Amino acid sequence: MTRKQKRLSVILAGLAFLGAAAGLTFYALGQKASYFYMPAELATASVQPGQRIRLGGLVASGTVMRGNGATVAFSVTDTQKSVKVTYTGILPDLFREGQGVITEGAFGPDGVFVADSVLAKHDERYMPKEVADGLKAKGVWVESKSQ
Amino acid sequence: MLFWVIAAILTLGASLAVLLPLTGGVKGGSPAGDHDLEVYRDQLSELDRDMARGLIQPAEAEEARAEIGRRILRLGAAMQPGAATPKPARSARWVASVAVLAVPLLSWGLYSMLGSPDLPSQPLAERLAKNPADSSVDELVARAEAHLAANPADGKGWDVLAPIYLRLQRFPDAVTAYRNAIRLDGDSAVRQSGLGEAIASAAGGIVSADAQNAFEAALKLDPANAKANFYLAVGLAQEGKKAEAVAAWQKMLGQLAPDSPWRSAVQQALAEAGGPAVADAAPATGPDAQQVEAAKQMSPQDRQAMIETMVAGLDDKLKQNPRDEEGWMRLIRSYVVLGKADQARAALGRAVAAFGADSAQAKKFTAFAASLGVTATE
Amino acid sequence: MVETGHFALVLAFALSLVQMLVPLVGARTGNQRLMAVGGPVTVTGFALTALSFAALASAYASSDFSVASVWENSHSLQPMIYKITGTWGNHEGSMLLWVLILTFFGALVAVFGNNLPASLKANVLAVQGMIGAAFFLFILATSNPFIRLNPAPIEGRDLNPILQDLGLAIHPPMLYLGYVGFSICFSFSVAALIEGRIDASWARWVRPWTLVAWMFLTGGIAMGSYWAYYELGWGGFWFWDPVENASFMPWLAGTALLHSAIVMEKRSALKIWTLLLAILTFSLSLLGTFLVRSGVLTSVHAFATDPARGVFILCILTLFIGGSLALFALRASQLTAGGLFHPISREGALVLNNLFLTTATATVLVGTLYPLALEALTGGKISVGAPFFDLTFGPLMLPLLAIVPFGPLLAWKRGDVIAASQRLMAAFALAITAMLVTGLFIDGASVFAALGVGLAVWLIAGALTDLAVKSGFGSVAPPVMLRRLAGLPRSVFGTALAHLGLGLTLLGIVATLCFGTEKILTMRPGETVELSGHTLRFEGLTPQKGPNFTEDRGRFLLISDGNADGAITSAKRFYPVRQMVTTESGIRTLGLSQLYLSLGDENSDGSVVVRLWWKPLVTLIWGGGLVMMAGAAMSLLDRRLRVGAPAKRRKPAAALASPT
Repeated sequence: MTRKQKRLSVILAGLAFLGAAAGLTFYALGQKASYFYMPAELATASVQPGQRIRLGGLVASGTVMRGNGATVAFSVTDTQKSVKVTYTGILPDLFREGQGVITEGAFGPDGVFVADSVLAKHDERYMPKEVADGLKAKGVWVESKSQ
Repeated sequence: MLFWVIAAILTLGASLAVLLPLTGGVKGGSPAGDHDLEVYRDQLSELDRDMARGLIQPAEAEEARAEIGRRILRLGAAMQPGAATPKPARSARWVASVAVLAVPLLSWGLYSMLGSPDLPSQPLAERLAKNPADSSVDELVARAEAHLAANPADGKGWDVLAPIYLRLQRFPDAVTAYRNAIRLDGDSAVRQSGLGEAIASAAGGIVSADAQNAFEAALKLDPANAKANFYLAVGLAQEGKKAEAVAAWQKMLGQLAPDSPWRSAVQQALAEAGGPAVADAAPATGPDAQQVEAAKQMSPQDRQAMIETMVAGLDDKLKQNPRDEEGWMRLIRSYVVLGKADQARAALGRAVAAFGADSAQAKKFTAFAASLGVTATE
Repeated sequence: MVETGHFALVLAFALSLVQMLVPLVGARTGNQRLMAVGGPVTVTGFALTALSFAALASAYASSDFSVASVWENSHSLQPMIYKITGTWGNHEGSMLLWVLILTFFGALVAVFGNNLPASLKANVLAVQGMIGAAFFLFILATSNPFIRLNPAPIEGRDLNPILQDLGLAIHPPMLYLGYVGFSICFSFSVAALIEGRIDASWARWVRPWTLVAWMFLTGGIAMGSYWAYYELGWGGFWFWDPVENASFMPWLAGTALLHSAIVMEKRSALKIWTLLLAILTFSLSLLGTFLVRSGVLTSVHAFATDPARGVFILCILTLFIGGSLALFALRASQLTAGGLFHPISREGALVLNNLFLTTATATVLVGTLYPLALEALTGGKISVGAPFFDLTFGPLMLPLLAIVPFGPLLAWKRGDVIAASQRLMAAFALAITAMLVTGLFIDGASVFAALGVGLAVWLIAGALTDLAVKSGFGSVAPPVMLRRLAGLPRSVFGTALAHLGLGLTLLGIVATLCFGTEKILTMRPGETVELSGHTLRFEGLTPQKGPNFTEDRGRFLLISDGNADGAITSAKRFYPVRQMVTTESGIRTLGLSQLYLSLGDENSDGSVVVRLWWKPLVTLIWGGGLVMMAGAAMSLLDRRLRVGAPAKRRKPAAALASPT
């Protein structure tokens, strides 16, 4: 190989490597990113049981049931539809009825959403941003005017 | 004043930082090439050390040495043309004077737009230490709070603070303060009746079981305590025992001193007892401000009708959506206030049924209803 | 005092304008006097910024609620330490800290930069002045910490309780020291582009700054990870959260820069690439600042509805990244390339390292920005979390980590892989043994676990092999070897320590992820639970009162061999001012491992939900970070970094090979 060919092959190898990395990245974006839904959107979206999604909304008042041990059941609602969720673990400190929440997990075959993480991350209005945006889009939540 | 002196000194310092290098002598900095030469020399010596440690093979080291040598040669060539420092041009002098002037002008101009030079620092400790006569009520309260945070066992402090909280409408704080005063300095009719008022006010005017207990404790110590007598009668009225309430108030009128401040309150209460006795409890419950305003303009009959319509609306809503905890409590209270004890009891039964008899909510409802004098039917 | 701070800030802004213009003009016209202005102005600017920061800190310490930012983020009952750390626990104060560190680094260059060519120094200070001016303007225009309230409220609104922690006292300043440290590398690069040439002494200056910045960034990230681990009560140490990624991207790019700077310094090769990398690293630091500070992460909509801050930082971002890259495109062709090398060589290995690291940075960048871009463009909401990064970042890291031990053993210019492999035989055997032991003897170990442990051992053993080989272990008598070991340049130790730390961190991550156990259960007082051989007895909840919170503290007794062996407490805290509940996790360190315990809600029957984890070797994750920092500190002590000042010190002629 001449010097030029050598350099060319090195550059080609580098480009192939970058291409592979880029391909992997976009494959992973398609496969591994989890989509966010509000309960009412689930009717139109076809979400298979077992597919990981993020489900957000408000914790419906009076639906939080503590079962055996550390399993908790509650409903997540966007005031139009609501979805039953079960979760085993410690709920975040900011979890409360009527407040916004994001759960991550998948639907079981019985239609109950089995969450493996519950987030109540929030801004000062106790509202996760996806939930706030979703509720705003539905006209349920009106941003309070700043004092 | 002091601030302006400091600001002037700071400005002077900053301006000097610009001015001095401009007027000072120029140190003959070594030309760039010298720096590079030093680095190349070091690279050469490092090459030897690396070679001794086997980090580079002799043949490659020789090659590297040649590379560095070429760089040094190139450096030497670049340094040849005498790069004498050019004389300070006119433009440079212009830049220098603008720079020196810019610092004070810009900073004072900008600060006069942004700053509040007349506002002194206000550390909290200093504010609390100054003459009480100059302080606002808020500051006085804060001072008392700071004192009590440090000496939480000072019953007298709590005793002083409690009625102030009450007047500032900080009802939960008032409840805590009264309780602390009673715990530390013992019972008194004034403290117990104050506690009762605080509890009732915190609940939006409803004389709950807790408040009732406090008033009764006050009466035990001083049977003539006007506040306790008055609120207990309000409680009776809220439970629907209007006749008893009126009797209690009338008894009060007989006993009160002619100049007692309670006289007018009692008279007003009696006047209202003639109509529906909702005025005390309505605002926090259902109708919004506009409806209340409208209700004030109406005749007593119309008003009663309007309130009943609203309660019926709430009742209907709860039939459709029975999992509304707040709603049930509001409904039970509304029926109590309207004097419809049977319906209140029925509402309690439905509320308990909606959540299941064993649920936490059911217990809450029962306790709430009991505080209004309603017990379940069983 | 407060207003003095405000005035000092304004004055510092005015000086930064002088600093960005006068030395630049001086360097262009060759005017020594104008160039000389840079130094004193930079130092004075730093002094004024420090005064301003001190004024703000004293307002926080004395609970001066006439200052709006104090009122919003402090409370008179807070312990003094959190009053002071609250100074930078909010947007305004943290930006002031940012410029304080920026001017501090600028002042360091001004004071210790006498061994730099005058025009280079002037240009560097001018670029620093530009960054400073932009951020001073940002602070004064949109985030002024000295806005006053009149009349002053009597009580503040309290610092966010989860920020009331010692971790917060150390984490952001460290992170900023890292972020802003890269600004010096950036300024050097832009200065070189302005000058149109890269001096040899330029290379000598960039590496120590990269080391300093990298060291603090490593510490800041490790600190932040540990803080999230114990403060958030979820037991996780890394969440691939955008805020974390924002600090991780400059770290990855900075690590690449660190390695390419070695090549440039020793061999004068990769100059242009290093320069570009320095620009990119600081750009990622700016991007991190933008992501965290603009509110874009809280909500794209919040960003659109309250645009002042976000748009301002976006402008700064565009100006500096766009400007420097445009300058690079214009000038890069004028720069001369340096030494030659064979693909298989130390240089080649470092290039490979750069290839992997920059690609990994790119995947993290895509994963962090893609959801934002998607939401801004289509409104669709996705979350990109651990599964994405496991699939993209992981495969890039595995081969990189596998080749790490080879790098230091390859010779410069032309290396011998076979010879390096032979030297690494022992390390390789050790790694294989570790892999087999893990796979065969540890219950439930997966392929990934075995591979991970093997790789970690390979890194650790490889780092030690490097030291052994260079000190002549096995080929010379032990006393000679020790003498040689002591005589090795500090940077060799630095490299070995940094790679060792990497191995330790990897070992901690793999052990925690693969061998950790957890349990969630409800417990009543008196009940015991057993986890991975440790028995805990729940003693009960006791209410306690802190200065600005109340808490229910759960006490657990650790029982070893039937005897009580200390207690672990975890608490639910309630902060009345913000009406917020936080969980204080209970951690007990046993050797290198930890028992981690977090308290949930109390049930109506008096039992409490308890979640506990056994985290084997978890402390190595952050311990490894500390070792990496030690490595960087060691490299900073290397004598090579002090060279470059002409006429100060002449080395004995014997040490010099005769230059042609």
